[in-house]
Amino acid sequence: MAATSVGRVLTLCRQFQNAFRISTSLAVQQSALTLTKSQSYLDRLTYPLLSSNWHCHVGQCRPLHTTISRRGLEGFFDIPENWGEATVKSGAPWTAKQLRTKSNEDLHKLWYVLLKEKNMLLTIEQESKRQRIQMPSPERLKKIERSMKRLDTVVKEREDALRLLQTGQERARPGAWRKDIFGRVYWYRFREHALPWYMNKRYKRKRFYTPLFVTPHIRLRLEKHLRAKTRIQNKEREKQTVLQEKFPQIKAQSS
Amino acid sequence: MAQRLFIYPLYQIGNPQLRIFRPPFSLTLVRPGKEQPQDTVQFRIPMEMTKCDVRNYLEKIYNVPVGAVRTRIQYCTNKKRNHLNQKVKRPDYKVAYVQLAQQQTFEFPDIFTEKDVKSAEGSVEEMQEKFMEDEKQRQKPDLRRGGVTEWFGL
Repeated sequence: MAATSVGRVLTLCRQFQNAFRISTSLAVQQSALTLTKSQSYLDRLTYPLLSSNWHCHVGQCRPLHTTISRRGLEGFFDIPENWGEATVKSGAPWTAKQLRTKSNEDLHKLWYVLLKEKNMLLTIEQESKRQRIQMPSPERLKKIERSMKRLDTVVKEREDALRLLQTGQERARPGAWRKDIFGRVYWYRFREHALPWYMNKRYKRKRFYTPLFVTPHIRLRLEKHLRAKTRIQNKEREKQTVLQEKFPQIKAQSS
Repeated sequence: MAQRLFIYPLYQIGNPQLRIFRPPFSLTLVRPGKEQPQDTVQFRIPMEMTKCDVRNYLEKIYNVPVGAVRTRIQYCTNKKRNHLNQKVKRPDYKVAYVQLAQQQTFEFPDIFTEKDVKSAEGSVEEMQEKFMEDEKQRQKPDLRRGGVTEWFGL
């Protein structure tokens, strides 16, 4: 299984072909791991996206043809063996823990594999809606979406760590705490502009200060909020007293 | 796709070309509703994508030689109402008509052809299928009656 997996790895996107050949046994081990995950993209290996200098593991692979038929648009459909099936087997989605063990290059390539798989599934979904037939194995879409989200999370973590170490900045996008017209304080995230702020008419209309006539409204809003909070607390206290009366043996809940 | 909500950085003349790593956009190949020329492929794309984006996407990721790309936005109805009589919006989508270069053609394949499954000899399924076929034959009316039903005497 590992041997065939190795061969299958090399059928990833054409533009990563060269990079892949550079990385040697380490990548091979990793890719063997990766391939046990989503079976679906294993099935897509009749990809005609190979160049002819892919040589190493031909004998162990499924037979592949090197002619580029349909110019890559076949990537939007499943392999012909799966057409007309009621269910298509697929593996588990990637977990964040597994993705954290992968290198950046591997994650980059995996993103594109997942993306192409997602496009294929969306195509099948739309076609099944058109033909009024049930889509085979719709859970694959959810798996792919979750994998992609987790990949994003892992990459974001790495970027955050790098930025913290190099510059000490906690956030990627600069911002500031500002007060809006209603007196509420919020985190305003900066945007890029071509002009300085004092020449930007639209920006000046936004008013990051509270006019004086808004003060009564703020007081009323505060009162409303406090009233609601007290109401909840009183309700909770009453509930506790009623429970104590009914069931004296219960220990009073400390909230 | 909308997880990474970011505003594209400002472009001024002389800036380097914007590059997006790990694009969050996914394309859907659809069967055209109206008859399209042989070299035209129809996609549903996210609203944020442009013609240049579609061209680069297909050329770089799928290695498809793209000639021309035309896009339009399909407005979907806000008229339908649910069981609470609230208006329900069907989401809008953008359609891209991509013409392939190098005189290539593309025809949308038939994905859901039913495969004829022959069950194994002597198995239960085969006997069941044979029985069902015999039943169907018995149900068919007598051809000699010329389409007249059994309700009419003689």
